[in-house]
Amino acid sequence: MAGVVKAPGAFAITPHKVSVCILVNIYASPSQISVPFPFSSVSQHNRLGLYLLALTKSCDDILEPKLDQLINQLREIGGLLDHWLTDHVTSRLSSLSSPDDLFNFFNELRETLGGPDSGVMEDDQVILDPNSNLGMFLRRCILAFNLLTFEGICHLLTNIGIYCKEAISSCSSYELRRVDNSGNDLESLSEYENMDLNLVFKKINEEMEARKRATEQVSFHLHLPKELSTLVEDIEVFADPKSEHNDKGRESSSYASGELLRDVDPNGGVHFLRYLNNLYHDDYFSALENLHRYFDYRSYLLEINHSDKFWQNSAGTEGFDFVPPAGCNSFGRYEIALLCLGMMHFHFGHPKKALEVLTEAVRVSQQHSNDTCLAYTLAAICNLLSEIGFSTTSGILGSPFSPMISVGTSLSVQQQLFVLLKGSLKRAESLKLKQLVAANHLAMAKFDLTHVQRPLLSFGPKTSMKLRTCPIIVCKELRSGYHLISEFCCEGSTMTADGAFSTAWLKNLQKPMGSLVLSQDNGSRNNSNPFLFFTQPSSIPGSVMQLVGSSYLHRATAWEIYGSAPLARVNALVYATCFADASSSSDAALVHVKLIQHLAVFKGYKEAFAALKTAEEKFLCVSKSRILILKLQLLQERALHRGHLKLAQQVCDELGVLASSVTAVDMELKTEASLRHARTLLAAKQFSQAAAVAHSLFCMCYKFNLQVESATVLLLLAEIHMKSGNAVVGLPYALASLSYCQTFNLDLLRASATLTLAELWLSLGSYHAKTALTLLHGAFPMILGHGGLELCARAYITEAKCYLSDPSFSVSKNPELVLDPLRQAADELQPLEHHELMAEAFYLMAIVFDKLGQPEQREEAASSFKNHLTLNRRHRLKREKRKSTTSDLEKYGLYFFNPNLIINC
Amino acid sequence: MSSKESCRIELRTAIRQLSDRCLYSASKWAAEQLVGIEQDPAKFTPSNTRFQRGSSSIRRRFRTNEITSTPPTGVAYVSTPVMEEDEAIHGDFYLLAKSYFDCREYRRATHVLRDQTGKKSVFLRCYALYLAGEKRKEEEMIELEGPLGKSDAVNRELVSLERELATLCKNNTIDPFGLYLYGLVLKEKGNENLARKVLVESVNSYPWNWSAWSELQSLCTTVDILNRLNLSNHWMKEFFLASIYQELRMHNESLSKYENLQGMFTFSNYIQAQIAKARYSLREFEQVEVIFEDLLRNDPYRVEDMDTYSNVLYTKECFSALSYLAHRVIMTDKYRPESCCIIGNYYSLKGQHEKSVVYFRRALKLNKNYLSAWTLMGHEYVEMKNTPAAVDAYRRAVDINPRDYRAWYGLGQAYEMMGMPHYALHYFRKSVFFQPIDSRLWIAMAQCYESEQLHMLEEAIKCYKRAANCNDTEAIALHRLAVLHRELDQPEEAAFYYKKDLERMEAEEREGPNIVEALMFLATHYKTQKKFEEAEVYCTRLLDYTGPERETAKSLLRGMRIAQSGFPSMDVEHFHP
Repeated sequence: MAGVVKAPGAFAITPHKVSVCILVNIYASPSQISVPFPFSSVSQHNRLGLYLLALTKSCDDILEPKLDQLINQLREIGGLLDHWLTDHVTSRLSSLSSPDDLFNFFNELRETLGGPDSGVMEDDQVILDPNSNLGMFLRRCILAFNLLTFEGICHLLTNIGIYCKEAISSCSSYELRRVDNSGNDLESLSEYENMDLNLVFKKINEEMEARKRATEQVSFHLHLPKELSTLVEDIEVFADPKSEHNDKGRESSSYASGELLRDVDPNGGVHFLRYLNNLYHDDYFSALENLHRYFDYRSYLLEINHSDKFWQNSAGTEGFDFVPPAGCNSFGRYEIALLCLGMMHFHFGHPKKALEVLTEAVRVSQQHSNDTCLAYTLAAICNLLSEIGFSTTSGILGSPFSPMISVGTSLSVQQQLFVLLKGSLKRAESLKLKQLVAANHLAMAKFDLTHVQRPLLSFGPKTSMKLRTCPIIVCKELRSGYHLISEFCCEGSTMTADGAFSTAWLKNLQKPMGSLVLSQDNGSRNNSNPFLFFTQPSSIPGSVMQLVGSSYLHRATAWEIYGSAPLARVNALVYATCFADASSSSDAALVHVKLIQHLAVFKGYKEAFAALKTAEEKFLCVSKSRILILKLQLLQERALHRGHLKLAQQVCDELGVLASSVTAVDMELKTEASLRHARTLLAAKQFSQAAAVAHSLFCMCYKFNLQVESATVLLLLAEIHMKSGNAVVGLPYALASLSYCQTFNLDLLRASATLTLAELWLSLGSYHAKTALTLLHGAFPMILGHGGLELCARAYITEAKCYLSDPSFSVSKNPELVLDPLRQAADELQPLEHHELMAEAFYLMAIVFDKLGQPEQREEAASSFKNHLTLNRRHRLKREKRKSTTSDLEKYGLYFFNPNLIINC
Repeated sequence: MSSKESCRIELRTAIRQLSDRCLYSASKWAAEQLVGIEQDPAKFTPSNTRFQRGSSSIRRRFRTNEITSTPPTGVAYVSTPVMEEDEAIHGDFYLLAKSYFDCREYRRATHVLRDQTGKKSVFLRCYALYLAGEKRKEEEMIELEGPLGKSDAVNRELVSLERELATLCKNNTIDPFGLYLYGLVLKEKGNENLARKVLVESVNSYPWNWSAWSELQSLCTTVDILNRLNLSNHWMKEFFLASIYQELRMHNESLSKYENLQGMFTFSNYIQAQIAKARYSLREFEQVEVIFEDLLRNDPYRVEDMDTYSNVLYTKECFSALSYLAHRVIMTDKYRPESCCIIGNYYSLKGQHEKSVVYFRRALKLNKNYLSAWTLMGHEYVEMKNTPAAVDAYRRAVDINPRDYRAWYGLGQAYEMMGMPHYALHYFRKSVFFQPIDSRLWIAMAQCYESEQLHMLEEAIKCYKRAANCNDTEAIALHRLAVLHRELDQPEEAAFYYKKDLERMEAEEREGPNIVEALMFLATHYKTQKKFEEAEVYCTRLLDYTGPERETAKSLLRGMRIAQSGFPSMDVEHFHP
């Protein structure tokens, strides 16, 4: 029942509440008719009632909307009445010019309420039931007013004045109705107007919004530290489109927040907000400072004020299933301070320090027996471990963890992580922290996705275990993540008591529903039906939506790895359509990245770049954003296909720079950058260098246990050896890659490894063509079903080559068997602009036509071949400073095809 | 170089001008300095010099080199300017306004002067308005008191004042007093750079307004800022520098400035008190006590700076003197923050921490920004084991003055008490950053590193080394260094520090288990090093002590003798009875 019962001290009467009271008064004016005066229909009346219900529930939020925000909302719901309502509210507010007016106003309010003995009620009379939500609200307001001292009433009066003034200064369409009353308050008010504080106020609003978001989401971020940064980005992204002066305003905003936010929340929430702000601006020292300050003040406050609102919303984890421990023990929330500090260090890229702090957090939580915090801390540690890629942890996880990991220190970091994850999950389940449970399930899924389950005991009887990852477990874990949303759906009724949800609800008012993914119009508000939000079945808090959404993202990633492109795409689309509103900006960016990558692989670069453009507009390019990385990736791939090797290398280097930024080394990105480097070298036919790079990359992957990446690198090594004409050396690599793929269930990669294997066999001599063909046909379903354009084309070409080099195969008898795949390959390669492969396809086609004795078609194919060859070679030759003198078809043929190709007629 | 006489003339005029503008504390300060100037004994009867009698005794006791010449303060090119007076008819209004002002009816004073355009009237009007706003702010603070007395009241007049003064400033129709007020307003509004500029302008054109200097001082938080100020030379600047050096913890520089100034303002109580404070910061408690005793003889009803005196008495654990002082200030003025602080100190010394907190709280009610009271209250809470409250109090202190190393230290201590050494380290780091010469801070930090949770001995050693380098009076650092090195299996370093520690203990004629431990280690160490002569020395010294060590020393000696006499491979233990 949080949010309804509160200490009277916590419920202070504010101007916003006064205007809500005015609206309630309009809604329930004591009249005899069923539809009171200003309303023309019952539905109109009810609409206002629903709106008021939402308003009163969100009144428990820390920040209250300004008058102009209220007016805007009224405009949305009021329809025809909008002018009448806003005018009434503003005029009523501005008519309050003396304390006595306030007294009268609240007396009036009391009349709206039916007395407790209002048994005698006429049928059509509208009377507010004192025990209804609105009635309770009114009663609380009246009580709060009655508790005010005279000075308090004076302050309320002044605040109402400011409240009106602000609205007027920020929306000029509403004329000033305030009756001038003498006194200095007014003078100072006019100062506000003159000083052109609009910008400042605007900033403040944004900051307030930001804070609102913060309070809504902190619970979530507590256990997913990565989201911490996300959240902050959110704030900025949220703020950006609104103010054009953002860069200029940034400094002033910090000034403003320091200067003016002070009087928003004296309880120290400002410090937390400042901390978040610093976090976003990567200001380590200020962030550290503000975090410490915030908790220094907070802890004592908690001591004193158990019903601290901020706490309930922020650290209160999930709003309703956190029950503040009955006897708040005398030590404050220092463990939470440690938890936040640890996450901050992590955010700034000091994993070692973060781990130290989190270790202390574990100890202190245990000491104060704060199990909730302990569960979150464990989850944070898990996240830390899985994020930093085990590159630096060796030696950190030592003695302090032994109480938790009783298994001993002989475990590898992965195993420790596994144990921690299990423990954390168990803890979360026993504490019934639903969100944490879901998050832990997701983490488990992530772990299972890339790790083979091994027995934890290094001695004793071992249960037989297949050394493979288990997709079923991953799916199970992901599924248990979904349960969260169903729980929230069932408990919808109890939840609505919480203020935060209603705020989210109100906020939806401004949002267009069902925003289209990748659609060009990313801000059209015309289509937003103001009443759509009423039809929403239930309001699920943003953080839950986010979590469930991210489980879809995980799903998409899982399918990507397992090699089902359609399923990955479907999951990404589901995320983009259903969870776009609740998603954090980094998640949203991620899903865009996934979809665009999919486009690039299946539809070619033209479409991918078009989509990228929209995405770039949507997500402001922060340095090292996913979108930027994606752009570089696409550019590099295209350059590689087109044969612009220099450009490819350049882009590749840029990626490498992004990988090792100041904050920390991003292992994933680093691997990718050097993988791409090796590919570029391969394309430049510098085989030995390419092999060297790939080799060192494999060593790195092996060292840091990046096993999925290892499979890719091995495959690349096989390709390098094949291209360098060393098929025998290539074979073991391809086989090793295959076995990796099997272990980790990487089906698509396995198919492509099989393809490479087939190619290798083929290049061993025409004698092996049959073997190659069998292998290829085995992989065909997977390749054609899930593979991208390039992979399919390669498969087709290889198939054709297999036929052509098979001594028992005759072209003239069955020309379509060869020509058909070649044509397919050429078609599929077109959007990719992959000149090299296309040249190969056309070359083969030309030869086939030649053998078939169709000179016209041969010439056609030959000229396309030449075209692509020149397009591809131009850059390469420039680079290698070779002269292009040969135009002879045969010579080119020798240039890049193996001599084993015997064509039988 | 201004002579005493010209100084005197300047001050006299300034006092009149300042009190005419109702800048009372500045005029009080100036008057104090005026009588502080040594009178020409030829001109005055003994009754005139009565006021200045006592202070010589202390100077005789503590001054080794009497400063003969007055300080080289440079040429004071600003002579006391004659401020233009408003016309007679307006002068009447001014008189009325001033009377209202004196009766603390600020808004009335403002109203009377509403149409006056003379500089003096404009200043008084603005000043009265400012004070009216301040008064209202104070009231609102109590009305809107949030949890723990935090409130967000602001002076609502600042905006209009800033606008008006900015216009005056732009039109160049502002006098130094107006500039002072403008600076004050700007500072309150948070525009520190401009405030500094305006205040510098004010003190350059009218240096006798000590309030302006004080405001300027509060805006100079680092030496860099101070060096960037463009101040013209005047003897008032010396006062400013002395005071700001003290604030910036350059105590020796400050002290020398004050001693220079004392050459001219021989009998200034103010300077004397400041010297005492500087010496207090240098932890020269004996001298401070003498100075304060002397000061109280001359100025028995003084309350200012007496909290420092009470701190000294507290440290020296002078119960009765402290209670006497407390009684005295209570009789003088009960509702001064200093008085409450002194009583708080007294109760703290008596171990009645609850009562002590009550009085510190009262002091803070009277002055929210009373730095030392926050810190001292934090100490009390630590004593009462109410760490969250202590943390809060300390945190307020550092928010008022981020350079207060005691409060940072307190924060660290509080968190360490709660078993959060890693968290505490952050605060200890802050603390040593602001006061790198205090060994106690380094030792606290080292102990934090040493704690069983962190067990970062290397870092602890680094800290102890710093502590040992800055005059560790309690001699903890050397001993700990030795022990830590021994634990880390670095016998060479351990021996080095044991030796040093031993030397030190000998010099200070200390006794205790540490000596035995050091001797014991050194003896065995040198023996394993085969430096038998040294080992023998330490063993022999060990023989002076009773206990098991003595026996061990004996056997060691025996073993060594045997080893020296040609049985190097033999083990000592075989021959042990």
